Amino acid sequence: MPFKKAMTSPMGQGSSMPEIDCQETKRHVHEFLHNELTTDEMQEITNHLANCDSCEADYDFEVVFNQVIVNACDEAPPQELADRILGKIRQIQTGNHGNFDI
Amino acid sequence: MSSMQPMMNFTPTFGLNSQSMAPTKKTYDLTREFEEQAMPLMPLLLAMARRIPLNEEDAQDLVQETYIKAFKSWKQFEQGTNLRAWMLKIMYNTNLNNAEKRKRDKSRGSIDELEDWQVGNAQSLTAMASRSAELEAMDNMPPKVIREAIDELPENQRNVLLNVVVLGLPYKDVAELLGIPQGTVMSSLNRAKAKLKKKLESYALQEGYDITDGAGE
Repeated sequence: MPFKKAMTSPMGQGSSMPEIDCQETKRHVHEFLHNELTTDEMQEITNHLANCDSCEADYDFEVVFNQVIVNACDEAPPQELADRILGKIRQIQTGNHGNFDI
Repeated sequence: MSSMQPMMNFTPTFGLNSQSMAPTKKTYDLTREFEEQAMPLMPLLLAMARRIPLNEEDAQDLVQETYIKAFKSWKQFEQGTNLRAWMLKIMYNTNLNNAEKRKRDKSRGSIDELEDWQVGNAQSLTAMASRSAELEAMDNMPPKVIREAIDELPENQRNVLLNVVVLGLPYKDVAELLGIPQGTVMSSLNRAKAKLKKKLESYALQEGYDITDGAGE
């Protein structure tokens, strides 16, 4: 999805170059963090973040938020489950008399 | 959908044609290959099964069933394509079948009432919190509270969130897996994150975190 370019410069920045604005930067936070943007788009956002504390703080928050979600879902599986699955697989393998049914 | 060719050719020779250029894969090779590639994904699949949400016993059974089906179909997996998405697809389909069976066996529980807090009463997102307090609150959030909040998301949003954030699948794969347009993956992810944030902010406020000083935009 192409960026909507605004002639405004990022907050606190004196540049007159057309750059993506804060709204556009914030809108793409998930795509940025999940590597769904092109290299050029990533670069534009990186440039904006380097000069905009507000957007940078938003991005930082999303990074922490994602990590918190990942950590919350990271409950160790019981070793017994892996053993059970491997046992079943080997049972199936034995039943195949040494070759897959291809 | 992938343009990648399978890296392996599983044409069996059964020892009859030792001159064949096609590599022969014996069961132990395939088994080892499956175990090496698929077993490391087990914690992630179990995490996803728990968030369907299923109770621990059903989640473990589902993962086991998924692995058995995946192993039996291993020759159909195209090396070089996304194994996480492939295994997940098997797991989702298996769960759908099991859910149908369960529906026949017993009456439904409270599963249909899960979407209540879509219209929740939490603080407005526009009233941005003090960021350091917000980060601290998020960092200290009990994992159980986060898991419960995820479980309460509408199913599509929950699946997108888990597939993208927890499994790290590309949007394209998630769209294919869930049978939705890529634009819907993006909007569902936005909604899921916003709802989750609102829910967790509400919890943080109850716990006494001062995250609503209105200092933001």
